[in-house]
Amino acid sequence: MIRSLAAAALLCACTAAADAQDLPIFDAHIHYSHDAVLQVPPDQVAKILREAGIKKALVSSSDDDGTQKLKAAAPEIVVPALRPYRKRGEISTWMHDPTVIDYLEDRLSAFDYEAIGEFHAYGDDIGTDVIQRMIALARERDLLLHHHGDREALDLIFASWPEARVLWAHSGFARPDEVTEALSAHPGLWSDLAYRSDMLGSDGLDPEWAAAFTAFPDRFMVGTDTFAPERWYYVASHADYSREWLALLPQDIARKIAFENAEAMLAAE
Amino acid sequence: MIRRTLGRLCLLVGLMLVSAAQAEVLLSEDEIARALSHGPWPPAFEPDPSNRVSGLPAAIALGEGLFSDPVLSRDGTMACASCHDPAHGFAEPRARANGKVLLDRNALALVNLPAHRWFGWSGDTDNLWAQSLTPIVNADEMDQDAAGLKQALVTSRWADDYAAVFGPPAGQDADDVLVNIAKALAAFQETLVTGPTSFDRFRDALEAGDLATAALYPEAAQRGLKIFLGRGNCALCHTGPAFTNGEFHDAGVPYFITETRVDTGRHGGLEALKASPYTLAGPYSDDPEQQGAWAVRQVRPLHSDFGTFRVPGLRGAARTAPYMHDGSLADLRAVVRHYNTIDMERLHADGEAILAPLGLSATEADDLVQFLRSLSDDQP
Repeated sequence: MIRSLAAAALLCACTAAADAQDLPIFDAHIHYSHDAVLQVPPDQVAKILREAGIKKALVSSSDDDGTQKLKAAAPEIVVPALRPYRKRGEISTWMHDPTVIDYLEDRLSAFDYEAIGEFHAYGDDIGTDVIQRMIALARERDLLLHHHGDREALDLIFASWPEARVLWAHSGFARPDEVTEALSAHPGLWSDLAYRSDMLGSDGLDPEWAAAFTAFPDRFMVGTDTFAPERWYYVASHADYSREWLALLPQDIARKIAFENAEAMLAAE
Repeated sequence: MIRRTLGRLCLLVGLMLVSAAQAEVLLSEDEIARALSHGPWPPAFEPDPSNRVSGLPAAIALGEGLFSDPVLSRDGTMACASCHDPAHGFAEPRARANGKVLLDRNALALVNLPAHRWFGWSGDTDNLWAQSLTPIVNADEMDQDAAGLKQALVTSRWADDYAAVFGPPAGQDADDVLVNIAKALAAFQETLVTGPTSFDRFRDALEAGDLATAALYPEAAQRGLKIFLGRGNCALCHTGPAFTNGEFHDAGVPYFITETRVDTGRHGGLEALKASPYTLAGPYSDDPEQQGAWAVRQVRPLHSDFGTFRVPGLRGAARTAPYMHDGSLADLRAVVRHYNTIDMERLHADGEAILAPLGLSATEADDLVQFLRSLSDDQP
């Protein structure tokens, strides 16, 4: 009996390990900006994504040309998002530049998108005319907002558009309890875990994060954040790293965080 | 004759006093307190408990001999000193070192090594003897293996010296011989400590409250030090007496090696470290208490590791151009220029938060370089 139980346990462990290895990933935080386009060609990027087992990727780029090129190279993977940046150096100034709106309107007219972002905004940046107009554009087209910023800005986005769907980049680099509080406050909020490594400690999964994933199993997702061209060569390692810590969660939660949550977020009304 | 000589001497002393009176210490009390944290120097020698021959004169002599002898390489053409040239501050003037092939990185200067927790640009190792072993067995460098090294040793002129330190090699396991040789090399490298500089004389005078002596430190270097401590934020990473925090950062330097290959920096270093049997927590350490082994046991990979490199110490740096992990900056002025105009687009918005273009004027940049040079004006 004991031997049978042990064998069954071993079988379960092996199955879980195999599943973890094969776990498809929805990478919810990818950029393919102008310098990356020059240094890592679209076909090479598509190859990297496919070999890493990336099923889908929310891609936004500065400028948007990179996203369109990558969509052409990997149409089955790329979920296009529109950044309000024409080059990456506009991160801290864009909300004061009215020409950003012209750029957004032109691109939204010319191409299909699922989201606007990733955009950087903190505190009352949200009240600027540029960001308010950007939110209105998203609202007109029912687009997801991929927001990088603090809780105050997050609350102001929902104050501007209560029915918004918002993906909080890096989960705001907030503590797990702060993230869960934000998820409680805003049913239209999802959290990406890009560029965060605090889920996994030397003793395994961080207990506070484990509690957060259990409390909100439908609201988290992973992302690489290819913020410099070289980081395209980190996509596969990041996927493996994600599979490693996701394997420490119950299988259904792991699959949700790996890819199901991102798909559900994009399909949400 | 005597009276004339005395008169000249008095005049000279008088001029020095006037000069000293005109010079002054430019640092504020807070800056003085922070400057003091960069000393005293040199540190007292403390043997490495993981290396039983650390500090032993016979082992140091053996290590010094082996360091410059190509006998360690499989084909007998390459020594440690081939890339770590004693005449170039134990670094080398080429941007990237040449082993069997063009290597990926600049050869780090092998000075002031006991100050480190991690070794090499990416921290592949947590101790100096393991770091010394790495190029011996690297196929792109000395391309040796343990058996070949043992054979080369027993037929070399170092056989008796080795036996005097470690016992006859004939009956020793080849892996143990490899580690022993690395430990002798480490014992030698531990002695490569830069000497006191004009900065140290300035710093020690400040500590002693001797402002007259401190004021002899050139004002340009003092102005550079003020930038280093303050506006430049240099001292946030280049900390302590060795001017390094010993950790890994993204300094905004591209890390493509070829069009399709990148230097993963600390990311790859950590993978190598975790796979290595030659750590402080491993069986080759001579320290029964395994002091310092907590670091290799506890360290975890971070997404921010990718493309980061260890902060080098700055003592003796003026002798070891070029700079950065890939040797891409030709001289100290180029380094200051890099930080002066750093490309923020390469950095993560929430990553290296202290980095921003310094915006130094040409004079300020010169001052910063003068300060950096004052860390290398010891007698090597």
